[in-house]
Amino acid sequence: MNLKILLIAITFIPALSNVNAQISKAEIVATGLTCSMCSNAINKQLKSLTEVDSVVIDLNTNTFVVHLKKDNKVSPRILKERVEKAGFFVGSMIINMSFENVEVSDNYKFEKDGFSMVFVETKAKTLDGENKVKIMDKGFVTNKEFKKLSKSLSKYPTYIEGNEDDYHVKVMVP
Amino acid sequence: MKAIILMLATCIINSLNAQELFVVTDPASNVPAGSVSVRLSNSLFKEIFEDGYNYHLMPEITWGISGKLMVRASGFVSNRSNTLYAEGGSIFTKYRFFSMDDLHSHFRMAAFGRYSFNRADIHQEQIEIMGHNTGFETGIVATQLIKKVAISSTLSFEKALNNRPDYDFPSDQSSHASNYTLSIGRLMHPNKYTSFKQTNVNLMLEFVGQTLNENGKTYIDVVPSVQFIIHSQGRIDIGYRKELYSNMLRTAPDGVYLNFEYTFFNVTN
Repeated sequence: MNLKILLIAITFIPALSNVNAQISKAEIVATGLTCSMCSNAINKQLKSLTEVDSVVIDLNTNTFVVHLKKDNKVSPRILKERVEKAGFFVGSMIINMSFENVEVSDNYKFEKDGFSMVFVETKAKTLDGENKVKIMDKGFVTNKEFKKLSKSLSKYPTYIEGNEDDYHVKVMVP
Repeated sequence: MKAIILMLATCIINSLNAQELFVVTDPASNVPAGSVSVRLSNSLFKEIFEDGYNYHLMPEITWGISGKLMVRASGFVSNRSNTLYAEGGSIFTKYRFFSMDDLHSHFRMAAFGRYSFNRADIHQEQIEIMGHNTGFETGIVATQLIKKVAISSTLSFEKALNNRPDYDFPSDQSSHASNYTLSIGRLMHPNKYTSFKQTNVNLMLEFVGQTLNENGKTYIDVVPSVQFIIHSQGRIDIGYRKELYSNMLRTAPDGVYLNFEYTFFNVTN
């Protein structure tokens, strides 16, 4: 094995921990549509999930704010699949999560309900309360954006691996 | 005539939207997974060689098996034999194999196939398996959507077979054809969406052509139409079809369309 790759891999083995973090809301921008019947198809798909409390839609920007019920186990992938079933794609997904004094840093990883989150391009800080994180993975950004990200995030080995249960997230500045 | 005016009036009161949902062609996009839509298509075409009009009624049901695959079953009823007569049916499937989507645009491609049976008499050189001939059609469609405008083009091969049991396909006619279409649709109203209940209005212009492969005979039609989308779930199309050029035998090339469609979402999810 190439020593350099090995060294990089070792440097970037993320800290793994179980964290109490709950997704309360997801803000999804869907791509490839401009008609209200198309938006309605996505709307109906999202609402058919039992964990969804309500969906607030901006038809002009194709933004779907999905409010989730308490103690749900919805993963971002489930929401993405719903948009795709309607025949469209996710152009952006920002999720609201509540954290309890979680110290995050670059490449920090935690596991939750069968999936994991890796923080990318993140400075060390403590997250407490509700925070917004943007999912950077393929299928959660536009194709154009993914092309750029696969270069800029290439230092994160799990990002390149593209495991569908590893989400790479960036904390949004409020 | 009263009935037509009443139907038109009903159309104008109601309405719907989607600039890709063309009247005489299908876009590369499919219906949503798990949805079932029911359509009632009516067309009234003027006979050239005799008095009167040729009325076709086409009930259709479309099901989205997945986000990429859909199937549709159609029935054909017409008054060509002077009374309403069930002449045949059709099964259609479309698979979207390519998508390149961006925020307010997409480019998509799909492949489709259709098989139809029909027991009516064969009375023209034009091959039309939607309501006239037994046969099959297979082709590809590419659709580009940019903001409020959709442009779509179809290329297909269509083959006519015998209209069993009574009418064999005439041996002196070309039994297969190449079809090509170009459709443009634009969302006219609203400028800004406020709710799903808003009526949307789309204007469409479609060009439909056919060349018979064995003798090169060709027709080209233009179909302008207006479409209303109601409550983001229902749809009404009013279209007019006019022959621009033809050197083949067609018995009723010009006429009007009036289609009603309603989509039930998440029926099989």
